[in-house]
Amino acid sequence: MAVCIAVIAKENYPLYIRSVPTENELKFHYTVHTSLDVVDEKISAMGKALVDQRELYLGLLYPTEDYKVYGYVTNSKVKFVMVVDSSNTALRDNSHSSMFRKLHNSYTDIMCNPFYNPGDRIQSRAFDTMVNSMMMQVC
Amino acid sequence: MSRSPGRKQENHKISRELFVLTYGALVAQLCKDYEKDEDVNACLDRMGYSIGIRLIDDFLARSAVKKCRSYSETADMIAQVAFKMYLGVTPSVSCSSAAGNEFSLILDKNPLVDFVEELPVERASLCYCNLLCGVIRGALEMVHLAAEVSFLQDRLKGDAVTEIGITFLRKPEDRKHRR
Repeated sequence: MAVCIAVIAKENYPLYIRSVPTENELKFHYTVHTSLDVVDEKISAMGKALVDQRELYLGLLYPTEDYKVYGYVTNSKVKFVMVVDSSNTALRDNSHSSMFRKLHNSYTDIMCNPFYNPGDRIQSRAFDTMVNSMMMQVC
Repeated sequence: MSRSPGRKQENHKISRELFVLTYGALVAQLCKDYEKDEDVNACLDRMGYSIGIRLIDDFLARSAVKKCRSYSETADMIAQVAFKMYLGVTPSVSCSSAAGNEFSLILDKNPLVDFVEELPVERASLCYCNLLCGVIRGALEMVHLAAEVSFLQDRLKGDAVTEIGITFLRKPEDRKHRR
């Protein structure tokens, strides 16, 4: 049910960004970019004392009139950002968390590929299939 | 490292991921060092050969198998005992020549390529698991069986299964003179 999924590297450049209605791609890129500030804010707000219990799933980052943006950060500071259509209220918060977990698992599989250099753009068919399945649930 | 049969065997287990990732890093580094795929393949084969000539003693000590009387017994031994012991998979064996000296091991699951989805575009003729060919060749040579081992089919290159072909070079009758 997502309309846009992005994987952002530690240095805040995109490793992978994919949106479903491809005509407004630039708008989604902009939304994801602005959400990075919110992600950084949430990470620093967690505080150093709570680093052990830090949750990877950041929850709703901010809602706009059409979309809601959700975030997830890994321990290696790789961020996953998901933009969801606001009209899709059927999704519960748990399923966002599980979708992010699936993304995280696929990401670790890619990292284990010996021919993948960390920091490269992600060009994996398995990852594409998994992201497609998440986005196609709308239909 | 002598292993007497009476002593309880300690099978040291390591993490499978560590092994697969180490092998992957080895291949990736070789790809960075050599430009041509043939050089990488040859290097993997040489490494496998040096592993094989040492591994055979470990295998014979741990499995305590009897002497194989024919090439097909040898091929079965490699597939069912050796592969099972070291990689945890059992390929199926098929004899592909009338003379009885060409066999193929068909692997439907290859643990070494767990994380590799496909070969990079510029490395289309890389034999990712060529180390295995070298190991088999080295091990067979130490038991006085000359053989040529190569990959006939490779799943990473788009084939349906991974197939390793073993061709024994000397005729079975030649073995009698060693008595």
